Amino acid sequence: MAQGTLLIQTDRCKGCGLCIRACPQQVLVAGQHFNALGYQPVQLDEALRRCTGCGVCAWVCPDLVFTVYRESAGRAG
Amino acid sequence: MARELWKGNEALAEAAVRAGAEAFFGYPITPQTELLEYMARRMPELGRTFLQAESEIAAIHMVYGAACAGVRALSSSSSPGISLMQEGLSYLAGSEVPCVLVDIMRGGPGLGNIQPSQSDYFQLTRSAGHGDFHPLVLAPSTVQEAVDLMYASFDLAFGWRTLVILAGDGTLGQMMEPVEMPPMRALAVERPDWALTGAAGRSPRVISSLYLDAAELEQSNLRLQAKLQQMAATQQRWESFCVEDADYLVVAFGTVARIAQSAVRAARRAGIRVGLFRPVTLWPYPRQPLDAICPQLRGVLVVEMNGGQMVEDVRCVVRERVPVRFLGHLGGVIPMPDEIEAELAQLVSLSGRAAFS
Ligand code: SF4
Ligand code: SF4
Repeated sequence: MAQGTLLIQTDRCKGCGLCIRACPQQVLVAGQHFNALGYQPVQLDEALRRCTGCGVCAWVCPDLVFTVYRESAGRAG
Repeated sequence: MARELWKGNEALAEAAVRAGAEAFFGYPITPQTELLEYMARRMPELGRTFLQAESEIAAIHMVYGAACAGVRALSSSSSPGISLMQEGLSYLAGSEVPCVLVDIMRGGPGLGNIQPSQSDYFQLTRSAGHGDFHPLVLAPSTVQEAVDLMYASFDLAFGWRTLVILAGDGTLGQMMEPVEMPPMRALAVERPDWALTGAAGRSPRVISSLYLDAAELEQSNLRLQAKLQQMAATQQRWESFCVEDADYLVVAFGTVARIAQSAVRAARRAGIRVGLFRPVTLWPYPRQPLDAICPQLRGVLVVEMNGGQMVEDVRCVVRERVPVRFLGHLGGVIPMPDEIEAELAQLVSLSGRAAFS
């Protein structure tokens, strides 16, 4: 499966948790710290290395928090 | 009309603009700040007034001043800010000057947190300030309903010369949903016949809440009470879902009513004949329609994001005819549909009679 990673604009996150529920790989978690808005922004659990870059999180997030990167097959390896 | 994705706070602001708001005075507080931010940009763009006051106390008194001149003015805040505004709210009520206020409720008491809550229910419906009065309190449960109620709120405020409070919670303020915005209204040109507009060519008018003579103050209060009674009789708004054949009833308002609706659907699938009653006006409380459903019921479950506030109104109406259970979460914790279902199952087993269709 493709490997993916995310750029998370944590300052925009309102901690609603929609992405956490929607992620098929269950690699998103609520962060422990608070952002300037006062919410606990979502984090990618990088240790799991299971993000596939599918983009579901970016689709469901109402506040445009995610930029999704997916490893391209052509340049892999 | 286009369906657009709007964040609750911004949608409320735009709806107020379209309803003809001429002036906004406020002070930032999460989870309501986007409303003020939106107004800071939008109102000057239209040549209308936006002013960030030095405090909530100042903001509400600016609203009072503008409203005395017959201007459609509003403010918005969240729970701790509403507490600060209470002095002004009482003065507005005492002088029967109309205005609109938004409360995007957050966890309390004290500074609490910025998570959604419904714990201002008592404050808004019972004690929005000292003295004998109630504001008209509207509790939308979707962003679209928030827009529609905001659009109607100035007419209600001016029609009744009353304070109208839109009571949402942090979820509604932050949530983004598809909305159809109502058309932009022309600003009112005529000022009401009580407004202070300069006394050119007529005798001066006075707006005050001060009556040093006891009998005079009683008269003023009795007039206010008569109006409140009339409002209570004519302004009750509510919505019900699946109540026709219901043996059990869930009562919830605002965001919680939506969660409860999911639970009601699931319980229906499991064979429990349950319905949902959702007050849209928190004051006046929709007592008559709730009372009318009571005779068919075996039990009632009230769900709120507070320690049990609206449940007191429900108990007043139900009058021990059937058991009333309460499920509440506090401090910004949001009740989940499966918890509500579990409570319903408890209610069904406790009320002791066959409940399955
Ligand atoms: S891109 Fe897909 S796998 Fe990666 S975090 Fe988002 S939803 Fe989960
Ligand atoms: S959906 Fe967006 S706003 Fe909500 S928790 Fe995820 S990143 Fe944050």
